[in-house]
Amino acid sequence: MNWCLYLALKQLFPTGKKFSFFSAMSIIGVALGVTVLFVVQSVMNGFQHEIRRTIVATQGEVRIDANNNILYNADNLGNFLKNRPEVTALARYSYGVGMLEYNSRSIFPLIKGIDLENEVKVVELKKFIKEGSLQNFDNRSIILSSELANQIGATVGNSVEIYSPIMLKALQTNEIILPKTLKIVATYETGYRQADENIAIVMLDTMQDLYSLGEGVHGISLKLKPNVRPEKFAFELNRNLTHPVHAASWQEINKDLLFVLKTEKTMMFFILVFILLVAAFSITSSMTISVVRKTREIGLINALGGTIRQCGVCFMIQGLIIGIAGSVIGVIAGALILKFRNDIISVFVKLCGVEDFMLKFYSFANMPATYQLSDILTLVTFAVAICCLAGMLPARKVAKIKPADALRNE
Amino acid sequence: MNDYIVELKNIQKKFENVLVLKDVSFGIKDRETISICGASGAGKTTFINIMGLLELPTHGNIFWEDQNVIICDVKKLSRMRAKIFGYIFQRCNLIPELSVIENILFPKRIASKISVPDVEFAKELLRQVHLDGFENRNVWTLSGGESQRVAVVRAMINRPRIVIADEPTGSLDEKSANVTMDMIVSLCQEYGSSLLLITHNQLFAKKMQTSYILNNSELKPSDYAKSEK
Repeated sequence: MNWCLYLALKQLFPTGKKFSFFSAMSIIGVALGVTVLFVVQSVMNGFQHEIRRTIVATQGEVRIDANNNILYNADNLGNFLKNRPEVTALARYSYGVGMLEYNSRSIFPLIKGIDLENEVKVVELKKFIKEGSLQNFDNRSIILSSELANQIGATVGNSVEIYSPIMLKALQTNEIILPKTLKIVATYETGYRQADENIAIVMLDTMQDLYSLGEGVHGISLKLKPNVRPEKFAFELNRNLTHPVHAASWQEINKDLLFVLKTEKTMMFFILVFILLVAAFSITSSMTISVVRKTREIGLINALGGTIRQCGVCFMIQGLIIGIAGSVIGVIAGALILKFRNDIISVFVKLCGVEDFMLKFYSFANMPATYQLSDILTLVTFAVAICCLAGMLPARKVAKIKPADALRNE
Repeated sequence: MNDYIVELKNIQKKFENVLVLKDVSFGIKDRETISICGASGAGKTTFINIMGLLELPTHGNIFWEDQNVIICDVKKLSRMRAKIFGYIFQRCNLIPELSVIENILFPKRIASKISVPDVEFAKELLRQVHLDGFENRNVWTLSGGESQRVAVVRAMINRPRIVIADEPTGSLDEKSANVTMDMIVSLCQEYGSSLLLITHNQLFAKKMQTSYILNNSELKPSDYAKSEK
């Protein structure tokens, strides 16, 4: 073993002791930084992944609409899309705000009209059904999001009355308009609050009737083959579509949300990286003190045949070892925390009594977490590089020492 | 061509404007034992630092095997130091993170690789300084005398041509100082090393074959030695 590496290891883990206080504190400091960064990044990734998955599962991968206009030639467009090899399923839809009334409670949800037979091929509606079933879903029934059902106090089996904006306008002119009475056959919950909050689903025919759309729809949602990139496909599709008909991938539709999520992750990394920087400063400070303390030792090593430069390398290696050891321990600790995250959270919320608060303000019942090898490698490389830099400053100080002066040092 | 291992010729050393060594010429032969005395601040340590290639003179030349080492780079000088010299300092300067045997073998580790015979040789040296069984002791558990004897063994591990001892017994009591000094002389004789001893102790100086005194920046022969040069 190279003597610089040998001495660096011995200074961190001296003979006769399991480890030195300095190395233990330095490694723990780096490990804590890496653990926090790893856990936070993984949770952020998990939230992003869950949100993305839920968006695709509830909206489809690509949507074609006419910029809020009605598409009357949806069948022709549908046939064109069916012939595209990238498309595995498509479903027509229409949407609009309506007034929903139950037990004299009124609410204004977004009502979505779906072609059930095809819709279930594009989105995972069945998977999200919380109560009831899709079996009895027809022109005289409605599905409510769980939060919406809670807000009006309705459950499966109850009937609600729906007024479309056209009906409300007619009422203003004293026309006698009867609302459409629909029976709640199911409630659904995606686990993502934005999708669960204020949406009601009816059959496409019902929606067309409510909004007097005739055969028109507001758009078509598509499911693509697994290896097809939605952004690329939407871009290619737009070359064949004429204004105002436009294809948009789910990434484009939700670009603001995705941008916020990405920025959030970057900002979180930037803020938490300061933990590592603080650890690096403490390493530099301890090592610089060590250089002063070991000046005679450096002189001695020089007398024994080592160069001052090699002594400097020894300090750099110490930084490297602290970085590697801290990163490895940090990643292992982080992985353990992530593995038991839900248990840890449940203990925490029980101790603090904030169970309801957590469910109310966080979109998912269980904390999602996803980590990729590239994230871990980036994090470890970053931590090791910072620790190497931390070791370089004392190494530079060593390089300035004159051997004869070092031996005279008291 | 002469039979000096290392020879200093017309060495001058200045620190800023203070002249510490003036036109010093000196050489040490194989198996020779030399003492250098002088008052504190006379320049003894500067002299042995130059002799031991730890410091370069302001003027003059240093020859090793007829090669002027003044022109050598830092790396080559380091290699020469490891090959020619063994150092013993007033303070033992053991590395606290290493055990006794690891400290002793450290110069070997710097110079090359450690082999089984090296470990055996280290153990033999420890036995000769009455420290057998101390191999795995932590150095902070040793007394001052024991630590200095470990430093003596460390100086001998590379079988150096010259042992430079800078007041090696300065921090020891009289009894330990005598024991340690005898061990240094005896080990140098046994392994064929020359000894350059810096000391204030006239008794120790008299044990050397040749003795010099450093005074007013000049190195002159002294009458302490067993035989005059």
